[in-house]
Amino acid sequence: MFLTRSEYDRGVNTFSPEGRLFQVEYAIEAIKLGSTAIGICTPEGVVLAVEKRITSPLMEPSTIEKIVEVDKHIGCAVSGLIADSRTMVDRARMECQNHWFSYNEKMSVESVAQAVSNLAIQFGDSDEDGGAMSRPFGVAILFAGCDEKGPQLFHMDPSGTFVQFDAKAIGSGSEGAQQSLQEQYHKSMTLKEALTASLTILKQVMEEKLSSTNVEVVTVTPEKFFHMYSKEEVEEVIKDIS
Amino acid sequence: MAVVEPFAGSRPMEANRFSPYSDNGGTVVAIAGEDFSVIGSDTRLTVGYAINTREQSKLFRLSDKTVLGSCGCWCDVLTLTRVLTARLQMYNHEHQKVMSTPAVAQLLSTMLYYKRFFPYYVSNILAGLDAEGKGAVYHYDPVGHYERNHYYAGGASSALLQPFLDNQVGLKNMTNATKEPITRERAVAIIKDAFISAAEREIHTGDAVMISIIDKNGIKEERFSLRKD
Amino acid sequence: MASVLCPEVTPPGFSFENHQRNAFLVKKGFPAPKATKTGTTIVGAVFRDGVVLGADTRATENTIVASKNCQKIHYMAPNMYCCGAGTAADTEFTTAAISSQLELHRLNTGRVVPVVTANMMLRQMLFRYQGHIGAALILGGVDNAGPHLYNIYPHGSSDNLPYCTMGSGSLAAMAVFESRWKPNMSEEEAKVLVRDAVAAGVFNDLASGNNIDVCVLKKGTVDFIRPYQVANEKGQRINTYKYKKGTTVVLNQRVIPIVVEEEVVRKVPGPDSEESMDTS
Repeated sequence: MFLTRSEYDRGVNTFSPEGRLFQVEYAIEAIKLGSTAIGICTPEGVVLAVEKRITSPLMEPSTIEKIVEVDKHIGCAVSGLIADSRTMVDRARMECQNHWFSYNEKMSVESVAQAVSNLAIQFGDSDEDGGAMSRPFGVAILFAGCDEKGPQLFHMDPSGTFVQFDAKAIGSGSEGAQQSLQEQYHKSMTLKEALTASLTILKQVMEEKLSSTNVEVVTVTPEKFFHMYSKEEVEEVIKDIS
Repeated sequence: MAVVEPFAGSRPMEANRFSPYSDNGGTVVAIAGEDFSVIGSDTRLTVGYAINTREQSKLFRLSDKTVLGSCGCWCDVLTLTRVLTARLQMYNHEHQKVMSTPAVAQLLSTMLYYKRFFPYYVSNILAGLDAEGKGAVYHYDPVGHYERNHYYAGGASSALLQPFLDNQVGLKNMTNATKEPITRERAVAIIKDAFISAAEREIHTGDAVMISIIDKNGIKEERFSLRKD
Repeated sequence: MASVLCPEVTPPGFSFENHQRNAFLVKKGFPAPKATKTGTTIVGAVFRDGVVLGADTRATENTIVASKNCQKIHYMAPNMYCCGAGTAADTEFTTAAISSQLELHRLNTGRVVPVVTANMMLRQMLFRYQGHIGAALILGGVDNAGPHLYNIYPHGSSDNLPYCTMGSGSLAAMAVFESRWKPNMSEEEAKVLVRDAVAAGVFNDLASGNNIDVCVLKKGTVDFIRPYQVANEKGQRINTYKYKKGTTVVLNQRVIPIVVEEEVVRKVPGPDSEESMDTS
């Protein structure tokens, strides 16, 4: 992968002579191993869809949680080290509640992304508190939400960099999925179109056969806010795709 | 008065205990209309029977649509408003937007409750426009209880002025009152008249009134003289 | 034995019968009512031909103005007036009590009562009550020996001074006197100085305010000017606050007709009628 592997690839506090932080770059590589997640932002709302990798028939699929509610109006899809993502989601939820407590208003999606980014870049901090992190989070996140600016989608990688997207795919199938999104996305997409598009693309990049048990679908709309699709609702959408 | 102390230290200890608070007087009145808010404060700052200054407005412009009127212990007013403007600036940078009046209202409450057991000795009235552009007035107790009203009087003359506002703005205790939204001119006139009357009967209120009129075009300020004794 | 028809004659002086009860109530957390304080600026100054007294006209109950035009320069005798500061009732009753004694004294002696006499009587009364009578006074007058001005404190001490100030505005007023008083001023100079001294109190002391009264005492004449100046004009209100008829709720109404039982017409004789009144 990197031709010049050296002692610089161990510490998160040390730049390599070429000006790179290898641990961060490795973390960005790590998220490419995660399950695929897709987010599409439309004027009617945002769709999040992820695949659940069911590695054993004895596994209970409903316990795999890759899309979570952050606040009533914000949800996020994660890919990568799920255990790491729990810490970040906790922070996002806490920031939202804090914002509501202090200002009696909904936190904007961008501000949530900013707040989580502040946590993500604390790796390498070595203060006396002992609360320092030893490595970057191995997680990619899609933040989907509806605030006063309307429906919005943000993507964040392990370096803490966050960027707004119309449509974004993360995880192992992200390269192919992103290509498909570019072809299918247009500004006036309806929520329904986005739903079918996300599952169609997911179907293409998934190794297993897409079913209502191995995908998770969420919409965030200005009317219903965060809405997790039930098994029946997912089946309803799957029916429409060939 | 010529008094000879019987002997040194004969006074009880309580008499010498330091008090961290002082009452510096001042009165604030605010009225909310359909698409505007008016808030006024007198400009007299006192301690005991003495006047510190005749030219200190108690209105603090927080944004283009929010003004805070604050009186009571003046050093607490200064600290509270400085911390509040800092918090507003931080919010501005963090969220890339100007804080709305209802958000300022909540923030002020949180800040006051944060000092629940060593409170800011301040009577606050917040006036401005809410997210829909409607006039909004919020009033507070020193430890963060707050409520949205159409009108409110706070500070030294509040007990004299609140019944007047209840009647003239709230149209209370009248059988044939026609309930129609208050005009800007009437709101300003009522605030001026209220201060004229307060200056007649309340010794900590006087010298002048500063009035801020808040609407969608911004904030207009006005000054109005009162009696000076 | 006392009865309704024949009430017991109250002994002279103050009644202390409720003192113990009130002290008990205070201990139980029921505070005694507050007396009205004049919260005052009163001043006096001697000039070439006499004395000028000055006072503001505000009375306060804590932070509320209780009276906007109360009289703080009290009559003592035809040649003497006295300004009072402190508890309003105390200043009024003390000056009135001594005033009546001065009149009796004048009738007994048949001469102009000296100002020192009034001073001593006031002091003796105040001292007897050990400061519980909260009256701080400025006594001014002209007698056969010339003009006199006395400062009297609530505990009974007193000073004879060419100019003096009292009350909560005394410091502001004294500042004016200290900078501008000089011996042998003319009447007009003295009046302006006294006005300025009271005005300093009116504007800089919150418990003093409203109008300024001035009283000029010269041998044989008294010129009591009230008000000498309205220091502050009342603000002009913008709205009118007249209520429409029917604003107050009428809960119920009852008409009680007056029954005329008898009508009597009595002729009243005029002044020049023959049937004149018996005035013998």
